[in-house]
Amino acid sequence: MDIALRAVFLYAFVVFLMRVMGRRELSSLSALDLVLLIVLGDAIQQGLTQDDYSVTGAVIAVSTIAAVQVGISYLSFRSRRARRVLEGEPVVIIEDGKLIERNLKRERLTEDEIAEEMRMQQVASVDDVAWGILESSGNMSFIPK
Amino acid sequence: MARIPDTIVLRRDRDLGPRQNDIWVRRGLFGLVCVVPLLALFNVFGQRPDTSTGTAAAAQLSVSAPSHVRGGLLYQARFTITARKKLAQAELVLARGWIDDLTINTLEPSPTSETSQDGQLALDLGPIDAGQTYVLFVDYQVNPTNVGRHDQAVTLYDGNRALVTLHRTLTVFP
Repeated sequence: MDIALRAVFLYAFVVFLMRVMGRRELSSLSALDLVLLIVLGDAIQQGLTQDDYSVTGAVIAVSTIAAVQVGISYLSFRSRRARRVLEGEPVVIIEDGKLIERNLKRERLTEDEIAEEMRMQQVASVDDVAWGILESSGNMSFIPK
Repeated sequence: MARIPDTIVLRRDRDLGPRQNDIWVRRGLFGLVCVVPLLALFNVFGQRPDTSTGTAAAAQLSVSAPSHVRGGLLYQARFTITARKKLAQAELVLARGWIDDLTINTLEPSPTSETSQDGQLALDLGPIDAGQTYVLFVDYQVNPTNVGRHDQAVTLYDGNRALVTLHRTLTVFP
């Protein structure tokens, strides 16, 4: 009972944290993001099961998180409003070869980060991009001209 | 130029028309997250000890223990009795909040006897001479299932006579 409640609360808190931190933190696994994930995971594990080292405890925690995850996924599927709150919406960052500075600033993205992401997708220059979109998952998509 | 990708709505996703205020909501909520460590620095979530002191003609009782703790924490409570007059049979009576759902790892020096007094824990400390100080150390760990606020009153007796009562509470965060 206690572990299930802790799991639901911590899951909700992490989802909330990820949403308010912004998708910049989700976009790639830089060294700092990796540190963030490791520290988060360790801190949450201790609060979740505390001194319970049993298999039963672990099964309760994992099952609860899986159930909540599927529940949230279903909610997102059924309701656009819920999807907007839980997952966010895409943001256009490049239009017709031009960076949209206001949107980059809002998402704390630099030109260098955009250029790096473009190179990874075999795009050499912003001039070649018709639409650049920061997706709700934190990934970037580039549609060539 | 390529056409607008499917499901992208320029007013919403490029101009952010209906989403102008979202960023402030996000920043506000993140501000709330940042308040948590600040509150922690101000001991809202424990476990810095607070000291309460009560004085009577015969003795002074001082208790140093955290009033806010979190599940699983190890901490120490210190009960200091300074006798102004000889206490023939000093006895500390601890409310249930000092015992319920807390693990007592050690209690030093060991009382001469321990009894239950209306569900409270009575510790017989023996005689304390005038001018002497008796310090009782109790080391605790909070059981993870213990949550909420508990009464932690402490009364110092000399025989059947109550000398000093300190009213304290312990708040346990999950």
